Amino acid sequence: MEAYIAQGMHGLAYGMVLFLVASGLTLVLGMMGVLNMAHVNFFMLSAYLGYQVVAWTGSFWLALLIAPLLTAGAGILMERFLLKKVHAFGPMAELILTMGVAFIISDGVKAVWGTQNLPLSPPGSLSVLVNIAGVQYPAYRLFLIGLAVAILLLMALVLYKTRLGMIVRAAVADAGMVDALGINVPLVFMTVFGAGTWMAGVAGVAIAPILTVSPGLAAQMGMDAFIVIIVGGFGSLGGAFLVAILCGLLSAFGVQFLPQYASVLLFVFMAVVLAIKPEGLFGEKES
Amino acid sequence: MKRTIRWMGAFAVFCWVSLFLLPAAMAVNAKYDFDHFPDMSDYDPNNIVKPEGDTIKIAIIAAFSGPAAAVGQSYLLPVGWVAHDINKRGGIMVDGKKKKIEIIIADNQNKPDVTLKVTERMILQEKVDILWGTSGSHLQKVINQLADKHKKISVNAISLSDELMDKDNFTKYAFMTCFSTEQIGRAFAYFYGQIRKKETKFYILNQDYLFGHSLAEGFKVGLKEYFPTAQIVGEDYHKLFLTDFAPYLTKIKTSGAEVIFTGDWIPDAANLLKQSRQMGVMLPFANIFLSDPTTLTEVGIEGTTGLMAISQSGTGNPVFKNEGIIKYFKVWDNLWKNKWAKPYNSLSYKYPMGALGTYMTSVYWLASVLERAGSTDPEKVIKVWEGDSYQTLGGKVMTMRACDHKMVTDLHIYEFVPPAQQKQCFNIEPYYWFEKCAGAGPVYEIPSDKAIPKADPELCKKN
Repeated sequence: MEAYIAQGMHGLAYGMVLFLVASGLTLVLGMMGVLNMAHVNFFMLSAYLGYQVVAWTGSFWLALLIAPLLTAGAGILMERFLLKKVHAFGPMAELILTMGVAFIISDGVKAVWGTQNLPLSPPGSLSVLVNIAGVQYPAYRLFLIGLAVAILLLMALVLYKTRLGMIVRAAVADAGMVDALGINVPLVFMTVFGAGTWMAGVAGVAIAPILTVSPGLAAQMGMDAFIVIIVGGFGSLGGAFLVAILCGLLSAFGVQFLPQYASVLLFVFMAVVLAIKPEGLFGEKES
Repeated sequence: MKRTIRWMGAFAVFCWVSLFLLPAAMAVNAKYDFDHFPDMSDYDPNNIVKPEGDTIKIAIIAAFSGPAAAVGQSYLLPVGWVAHDINKRGGIMVDGKKKKIEIIIADNQNKPDVTLKVTERMILQEKVDILWGTSGSHLQKVINQLADKHKKISVNAISLSDELMDKDNFTKYAFMTCFSTEQIGRAFAYFYGQIRKKETKFYILNQDYLFGHSLAEGFKVGLKEYFPTAQIVGEDYHKLFLTDFAPYLTKIKTSGAEVIFTGDWIPDAANLLKQSRQMGVMLPFANIFLSDPTTLTEVGIEGTTGLMAISQSGTGNPVFKNEGIIKYFKVWDNLWKNKWAKPYNSLSYKYPMGALGTYMTSVYWLASVLERAGSTDPEKVIKVWEGDSYQTLGGKVMTMRACDHKMVTDLHIYEFVPPAQQKQCFNIEPYYWFEKCAGAGPVYEIPSDKAIPKADPELCKKN
């Protein structure tokens, strides 16, 4: 029984990390219609920035604060000076541009930090095991779960309970009308893009103590994050949350009960959902 | 009549024993020459000097870009070092003149299709003499196939799958200078069953591709032979570059395992160790690639004590057996501390041993074979290398089995102990490998006849 509880918690923790990565991606895709191929590279960049902040200050918490903000800053610069300029040329141009940025980030981190694995440990206060229903569980993984829930609530609050959220949603529905009302729509989109990369940044620093910081980090998480937004439905934050949790649980219990198929279960899940509902579980049908 | 039969029986036993002991007992044909170790102070892996004139071209086929770029970098330093060593001695006498070694980087991006293209380019355009690689048995297979097609010597110093040299894949142009999966598995089984005699419950956790499965099979074959009472309490194969090992670690925890047997390589090996210790799973790992000092340092002394690492280039204790090797190490150490820049000034490159030592040995051996063949002509090289025995700078003797071109040698298993207990192994100042993690201390020899590389019966019978 303890093993099943532990697997459930592993699934939840990994699902939450997946949500942190995928949420920014789905937000930008849903609100701006941009499939940001550089998203997971921003996630990796933030892990490296986090490592650097810890190396300089010794504080993980400072890293968790500063690195995502720096990453968001990089995202904003990308949106303002690159993405905005190619917007008129359609989604293909945007896709190619974001792929180019992905390569630049990838080679950039190698040029600055090299190709070696870099260490980043959890803060001392979270490097302990806590007893939950008889299961000794790492406190840091519990922190990850809490962090993801807090970010979900924050994003939901901003989007659905504030004036800014209302403007964002209106701009997504009819940017021209919102522009005519005197609201600076490009600024709104820049803010959304910044928020998306900030979430990737938070995920990057948060996951670094579990993994090693390396140039392979983006590729490691990228595929699973894309599965989450495809199955969850483009632009659906709730969908991303639910599917991320399902993916996490599928991975954990897959290893427990069907270990020989564990690596393909997510793909089977995606194929089944898309066969039944091509727009994803919470996606909207194109009119 | 009875007496004759007895003598014939004794003679048959003698022949049989000789067959197995032959590689270990063979005379050494060549060895590393410490007496002419040149001034290496100008060696810089970030700026490898291209020799002038007619050269012996060696292509390093590996990933030098993409997520696995660190792999190629880790080959460049040792191969470049050996080339520099030999070039400073004046080169190698081949085809009537002294030629220096030229290293050519062939970036395969860790992809089979790119490996095919870049290897063909190396053969047809760059006109290389030797193909040297590579990480990933599926990629090495591509290189060996091209070596066979174009009649080029291919040196496999890294990919460990036995299948590369079975009857279906063997080519006389390919030589495997590294150990192989069944050899490793059987060596570990021999160690736990015949030497250590302590732990009895093993959990196999490997990467889910040819290498991982092949290694596990080798271990199981070895347990049947050397440790029949041992139990495999679990066996799993995970996808490459896995993010979360926690579900596997929970299974391991509940299985009652006493040892985790894994062939995982970095980054999986590092993440597996790190996450296991974070989850309170403190079991020892019987492993091949858990040697990245950055990860070991992060995990700390307690978390790394008890690891069991197998080595093909390592020897019995102590490591620094003579003045020659001490001088060799001090030259390296000085350059590492004072000259080499990123990434070669990191902890991973601190010692010319372990994986780096393996790659260096491979090239030193190759160079020695070329010199003795007096030619880069593949047919002449094959003639010298088949059955050849070479003594490494650490004093280990390696033999190239003629029938399938696999390397035969004694293997060594190192037990990781805290720095204060490492003097038996690291016998010069500061008497430990790394300050903040466990490292090699006691070492156990696995005689080559106890872990002979798997031989395809048809192939070896045919030869």
